[in-house]
Formats: sequence, structure tokens, C-alpha cells
Amino acid sequence: MDREHTLKLLQKMIGEDKDFRPGQWEAIEAVAIKKQRALVVQRTGWGKSLVYFLATKLLREQGSGPTVLISPLLSLMRNQIETAGRIGIRAFTINSANKEEWAAIEEALAKDECDLMLISPERLNNEHFLKEVLPQISGRIGLFVVDEAHCISDWGHDFRPDYRRIMRIVQMLPKGVPLLGTTATANDRVVADVQTQLGPGLTVHRGPLARESLRLQNIRLSNQSERLAWLAENLPKFKGSGIIYCLTVADTERVTGWLRQKGFSAEAYHAGDDGNMDRPALEQAFLNNEIKILVATVALGMGFDKPDINFVIHFQRPGSVVAYYQQVGRAGRAVEKSYGVLLSGAEDDEIQNYFIESAFPSTQIFQDILQELEKSEGLSLYEILARVNTSKSMAEKALKILEVDGAVGQTFDKKVLYFRTPNPWVPETDRINRVLDLRRSELAQMQAYVDHPDCLMKFLLEALDDPNPVPCGRCANCQRRGFPADVSPRLVLEAEKYLKGAQVIIKPHKQWPVGLFPDQKRNIPLELQNAPGRSLCYYGDAGWGKIVQIGKYREGHFPDKLVNAAANIIRDVWNPEPFPAWVTAIPSCRHPHLVPDFAARLAESLGIPFHLVLTRTSEAPEQKTMQNSTMQARNVVGTITIQKPIPAGPVLLVDDIVDSGWTLTFAGYLLMKSGSGTVLPFTLAQASGRIN
Amino acid sequence: MTISPDSQAILLLCSRIALSSNPEFSSLTLREWNPLAKKLISASMRPADLIGLSSQDIQNHLEIDGENSERYFQLLQRGGALAIELERLASLGIQVMTRADPEYPARYRERLKESAPAVLFYAGERALLGQPGIAVVGSRHLDEAGIECAEFVGNSCGLSGLVLYSGGAKGVDTISMYAALSSRGTAVGILADNLEKAIRTPEHREAVSRGDLCLATPYSPDTPFSVGTAMGRNKLIYTLADYAIVVASDAEKGGTWAGATEALRLKWIPVFVLDHPDMPEGNKLLIQKGALQFPHPFPEHYQNLKAWLEAQSTKIKPYSSQLSLF
Repeated sequence: MDREHTLKLLQKMIGEDKDFRPGQWEAIEAVAIKKQRALVVQRTGWGKSLVYFLATKLLREQGSGPTVLISPLLSLMRNQIETAGRIGIRAFTINSANKEEWAAIEEALAKDECDLMLISPERLNNEHFLKEVLPQISGRIGLFVVDEAHCISDWGHDFRPDYRRIMRIVQMLPKGVPLLGTTATANDRVVADVQTQLGPGLTVHRGPLARESLRLQNIRLSNQSERLAWLAENLPKFKGSGIIYCLTVADTERVTGWLRQKGFSAEAYHAGDDGNMDRPALEQAFLNNEIKILVATVALGMGFDKPDINFVIHFQRPGSVVAYYQQVGRAGRAVEKSYGVLLSGAEDDEIQNYFIESAFPSTQIFQDILQELEKSEGLSLYEILARVNTSKSMAEKALKILEVDGAVGQTFDKKVLYFRTPNPWVPETDRINRVLDLRRSELAQMQAYVDHPDCLMKFLLEALDDPNPVPCGRCANCQRRGFPADVSPRLVLEAEKYLKGAQVIIKPHKQWPVGLFPDQKRNIPLELQNAPGRSLCYYGDAGWGKIVQIGKYREGHFPDKLVNAAANIIRDVWNPEPFPAWVTAIPSCRHPHLVPDFAARLAESLGIPFHLVLTRTSEAPEQKTMQNSTMQARNVVGTITIQKPIPAGPVLLVDDIVDSGWTLTFAGYLLMKSGSGTVLPFTLAQASGRIN
Repeated sequence: MTISPDSQAILLLCSRIALSSNPEFSSLTLREWNPLAKKLISASMRPADLIGLSSQDIQNHLEIDGENSERYFQLLQRGGALAIELERLASLGIQVMTRADPEYPARYRERLKESAPAVLFYAGERALLGQPGIAVVGSRHLDEAGIECAEFVGNSCGLSGLVLYSGGAKGVDTISMYAALSSRGTAVGILADNLEKAIRTPEHREAVSRGDLCLATPYSPDTPFSVGTAMGRNKLIYTLADYAIVVASDAEKGGTWAGATEALRLKWIPVFVLDHPDMPEGNKLLIQKGALQFPHPFPEHYQNLKAWLEAQSTKIKPYSSQLSLF
């Protein structure tokens, strides 16, 4: 009877002709009727959201309180929320982006007019949420849903410190509050771990993971130019829309630029660019098929649900089978035939190893932060950065872990302040090493996947402990055919030229970092700000990057081909307005001639004079060892001086590698204060912080 | 942190945490909880048995009216929110115990009986609550003699292994507490407000994490200061200690006066008052009301403090103990 009633609701939501998928009713019954704790392991697109929406509806009909759904993917749930509205489920989300709606939501809660509350794990540590919002539900939580429950386990591929907090909360839940954990990717070890963490009595509902429509293929092309050429040659063969996954922000931009040059409708999608990218708008345009190809980092993450994705191509190899399966699994949810092509290249391992090494802050960073906090009643993030030499993102990572460990708390007094709690803290070296070892073995498994000679789907399913892995009969290995692995040499040359000519922009700083000049305004006056500059390449990358690396650290000299490449870019590609009237260089005590020598040759090639007007009074530690803005800027100021008078007119300011940009900013500031014209920065390479 | 089902139920009923600032159903006062606890006992039930019952069930089991049973039911519903808030408090270093916990201070049970707070929040070493020790009380504003006395008693406690009890507030409390801690002793502060904030002070935090200090309060850890909470916690300072020394008191007004007269009336422990030529009017009146004199400067070696207090207080018999409620 319950089943029939629930089926009717389901049909109201998704269509009269629809039925439960295998496992859906059982999961609903477990939490909504039997009030159990259940873990649902089903592939993405199986319909986990139907389970918690229908369970919510049943529970609400029985008079239970609203469902609290904890998920890291709120922004992507708009469509599902609309669907749930068809059976009268009123769902709300509270996040930092919808402050203006909070009052209305709180009122809805108070009137018991909210059936489902979606929150991010971070909300659970938000004072306003805990003190104002949660009590409005008067705590009557009818169902507790933990989305992406594999994050609870250290063995899960996706380490999210906040989930440890969720686990502790769940352990303190009184009896009788049903719990539903959901995940698309959890192997046996993760499932067992989640079971221990969430306590006994957790029933596991597990379905097959295979995707019937997906055709997998692996292609090894070591050079980026070959892979770009492959894309240009093969993309026209794919129908519909698709995703190209890259490992770094820089790569998404590069691939997008190339594809556009070749006439494709492509957009980059990532969390770089200071988060300025309008990702919801891009998602929407992609959902509406206004964009054919989204070139994305993992920022296009779990839960993004577009049913008609025809292909997922990896420009670089992901770090684990789980991550790969999740990404490639976005293809083919509601299309007959879809393709998952994994291109892998020479740079993959280097990038992956970098990700692994930078996954956790060092013990030193943790201890330095704690030491500073212990001296105070509370410090803001910027106050911490002014005292601890670490990057902002590392500091944030460390603070997050310390918070979840109970060593650090957060309070709000005009700004967020972090403070030390009395709880003891010891570095969890073993735990961290265990996670890192796991990452390394996952990487090895992924390396094995690339060269796997037999069924690719079966390989993935076995790695994910699918209950019934069988050869798919569809992948390139089963079919003994697929997309060609060779590419036209003409296109490779063109791609090579593109890679070498691609513009890498240096964004000028507009403000000094916090605490650098405490008695000055932070804004740099507009007339003393650098113009946007250019770099020849990303440091160490394919193209020019390797040549710069060798020139700087091995040869101690930059070859003429870099001078020519730079001159070409500046003259033909960049062609700044105004064009520089003279050239100067950032000197260095460590390599006194390296940059001036290069800059002088560049000036000659551009046909304008070179004047060395800047001097270094003392050698600061190399800028790349300075880990955050305040430290970096402090490192520069005072070590650069200028010899006046200087020539008038716009000046090309040359350095070898731009990292934080503070050296260029401060040198430009001095030049313009001393009467130069516009300062146009140019560097051979940009140290690309590898973020995704 | 693990928490027993009984404590869970008591927290849901008696504490304000995870309730909105203006809730439809307010939490139970002690006066409201005690009769309910008695009803539970006579129905052979534990507090935990209430969780999961409907309003009607509660009404039937305990023979109470619908209005009250609905209130209990509503309060008991917020287990999810309570779990989230308790987890947050634990991560800040704040724990909780209730009268149903075996670790709950025996001295509160024995001396306060039904007035013993149902719920205590604390940070630090809870075993200190009720160890032999001396309470120091007095107003925030002290004269020279008061400061010297607060320091002397604090140091003496620290050096002779006695716990220094105080209200953890500014003035005499802090002076005596830091004196005890700086002579490598231990201290307990019973706060009237904002435990969350108190443990952010570096000195407090360090002592708490060393296990030398326990800060406790019967009020929600974010409670702002009020005269009511300050008055309410006075008895919680006296009843943990073996002796109390009132350093300075206003006459007929103020928290120190109210607390000291209450302690004299209810005779939990011997109450001493600092006696010196320039003592405040309140001190004199307290002595008239039966408080024992504590000379300034103290005439003997600091090590003899406890023995001296003991000898002086033979005149007073503390109440005998009885069994108590949850």
C-alpha cells in the first residue's frame, strides 16, 4: 500500500509511465517506513534524489519534521528541487550566496512550511545557522541525509574534513532519527569504513555501476600539441555536447583557446580566476546546449547532472579510477551512445604527484599557526598570513583541519576570527600518510588502466568492487576498434605554434596586501598601477616553458630563440597600446646578468633602448619561497631602489619568472613615481600555481 | 564526546541550547524539572524513556495534562539540532554533564539536592569539581587588603594542593585564581556568563588544557552576563568548597552580600569574612550575622591555612546528606 502510494508520487514527479528503478523502493522503505539508517551505493543518475525526496514526502505525511540534507553540491540541485516541487515538497537552501532569502526561509521554517533543508557541510559550523536557523526547525529533523557519504571515510577518494564533523553529529543523534547516506562511488573498503563510522544497524543498498551506453577508449599521446591536434581532428565526429576534463586551470584556458581558434563552441570552466567565473551561468548554458564543449577542471564536480552528454574526453589523466569513473560517468545518462576517451600525456604524473604532495599542509604549518593563535585571543586569516609563511590556500586548508580536529574555533567580530581552543592537538601523521599512500596506489591503478589491454569497463567495475563485473562488449578494446590514435602532422605543427604563441596575461595588482603598509591606504593609486602584462609561457610547461627552466637553472643564459619568441609575441600578438619606448629589467643579486642580458637583447630586437635603472640593495630570499601576499610583498619592498633620473615614456619591464607579481608591482610603482610612462610588464614565464 | 541517553533527554528538556531565542516552548526550570523527575521515578521510568514517545504517550505514562506533555514532546523533538550543537561545543573544548551522570559533582547532589543544576557545561578537568578546596568571593572592586588576601589564599591553595574556587569573574576571582595557578596549583571557576568566550583568553585556555583549571557553568555557554545568572551561580561556588572566604562585601546589596547571607543561612560550609580595620561595611555586618573572622594579615604560616580554618569552624556543622533526584 505504501509502495503503491509512493509509486503514484514518483509518477507525479517524473512521468505517468515511470516505475521504481531496482533498489529505490527498498531504500525509501528503509528510512521512511522502518526508520532505519541506510547507505545507498548507486551510480550517478540512478535517482538518489528521488529516494530522499519521496522519503521526505512520506515522513512529512506521517508528521515528521523536515529533512536536513547535507551536500557539498547545493548549487547544482536547482533542477531536482523543481522536480520535487511537483509533489509539493518545499525545499530551501541556505548558503552564503542567498543571504537576502534567509529571513523568508527562517519564517517558512518557523511555520513548518519547509520540507527539506539543503545545507553544505560548512554550514554546520556556522553560528548564525546553528543559533538562528536550526532552532527554527526546533530541531525536529525528520530525516538526516548525508550526500556523497564516501567523504566520511579516509579511504574515500575525496577528502573533506567537514565530513568528520558530520560523522560525530550522526553518532550523537538520538535513536529514532532515520539516516540516509548516499554515494555513487564507494568500493568495499569505503563501504565497510562508512559502516563502522556511522555505527551498527546501517543497511547497505548497493546496485550495479556499469553504464550501458558508454564506450570507453584510451589513447596515449605524450605531447600536448598532439593531443590538441587529436581534439581538433576528432571532435567533429562527436554528436551533441560533451566535456573535456583537464587537470589544471591553465590547461582548460589553453585547450579552450585552441578549440575556439579551430572554430568550436567551447568554454573554460574552473574555480581559478579568484572565483570570478560565473559558473552557474556556464552550467546553465551548457545544460541548454548553447555551449557544445565545456573544458573543465574537477570544479565541474559531483552532482552536475546533464542527461544528454555525448562524450567526456580527458585531456589529461585523473588521479584515480574513482575520480575517472565519476567524471566519465557524466556521459550517456540518457543517450543511446556515448563516448569516454582518455587521452594521457607526459605531464600527467608530474601534475598528479604535485597534487599528492600539496594535498596536506606540513606539520610545520599546523604548528606555526597554532603557535600564533596561542598568543592571541583570536586572529583573522590575514593576520595569520602576516605571521605564518604559507599560502592562503594552504593556511585555509590547515585551519579547516584544525577546526574539525577541535584545536581551532571560529568566531565573528566584524570579521571572522580564528582562535585556539583548549583541546589538545597532535599532528595526525599516520593518518595523513595513510591517505597519501592511498592516493599513490590509486594513481598506480590509474596508470595501469591506461595500458589495460582488455575490457576497460570491466577494469573500472572491478576496481570499484561492482558486484557483477562483466566485459562490456562496447569499449574500444572489446570492439577492437575506436577513434584513431594518430594525428595529422600538419595539425600538430599548428598546435605547437598555438602553444608557443598563446598569450599568458599578467594581471596587475590593484591593492597592497593587508598589513604591508599599515599606515597607508591599501589601494594602489590608479596612475601608479602597472598595465596588464604578458608572459611568454607557463613555467616548466610544454612549449617554451622547459626552455626557460633550462635557461634559468642549468645554462645561466636565455637563448636567442627566447628573445625572438618574446619579440614576436610583444610586437605581433600583444602589440600593447601605448607601445614601449624603452626597456628595463628587474635585477637580481643572485643572477646579476641573466635578466638584464636577456632584456638588452630583447630591446635590440624591438629596436628600442635599454636602460638598467633598478637596483637590488640586498638579496631577499627567492620569491617563490615566500608563500603568501603579505610575506611576498614585504620581501620585495625595500630591496629594490631606483637610480634617477630615468627616461620618460612607456616602459617594458622585463623579468624572467613572475610568481606573486609583487616584484613587478613594486618596481612599476617606483618607475611611475619617478616619472616613467605606463609600465608594461613582460616575463618569460609565469609560475602557474597549480590549482583546479 | 559520548553522552548517555538519560543526559540527552535531560539536556533536551532542561537546557536552552539548540532552542531559538524566543521559542514557542521554553526549556524547563529546575522547579519544573524536579516534579517531572519525581513522576518518572514513581512510574519506574528513566529520562531516556521519554525520547520517542508521542505527546499522548507522555500524558498517559506520567498522568499529566496535555499542555505539559505537548511541551515535553516538543522539547524532546530537537535531538538532531542538539547533536549538532553538542558536537560544535565539543570541538571548542566544552563538555556537558547532567544530574543523571555518575560524574556529576557529589557535593552538588548532597548539599543542593533539588537545587543542584540539572545541566553543567564545563571546560577542563572535571575531576576538580568538588576536590578539597577553598572558595574566595568578593566584589570586583578591592582595596589593598582585599588584593593581598586574594593573592595569599590563592597562593596558599596552590602550594598546599587545595583547589581554589571562585566565580571566574574580574577582580578578586581572577586575582585569587591566577595566584593559585601561578603557584602550580589548581582552580575552578563557576561562571555566570559566556563560557565560550572565557576559554578564549590565553591564560584560561592554557590552564584548562593543562588540566589545572576547570571552568563550569549551569548556563548555556553563550549566555550574556546578567545579575540573575550571577546571583544564581553563587551557591554553586560555595557548595563545591570546604570553606569560603568573603574578601569584601557591600552591605545589604550586591551579589557578594546575597551569596554570603544565603550561605550563612543554609550552612553548607563555614563562611569566613576578611577582618581588618578598614574593612567594608558589608564585612562587619556579615560577622554580626555569624560569619567567622579571617584576620588580615594572616597570622600563621601559609601551610597552616587549612588547619586553621578547620579549627575555627568547629562551631558550625554542615548539613548531613540525603539521596537525590536525577
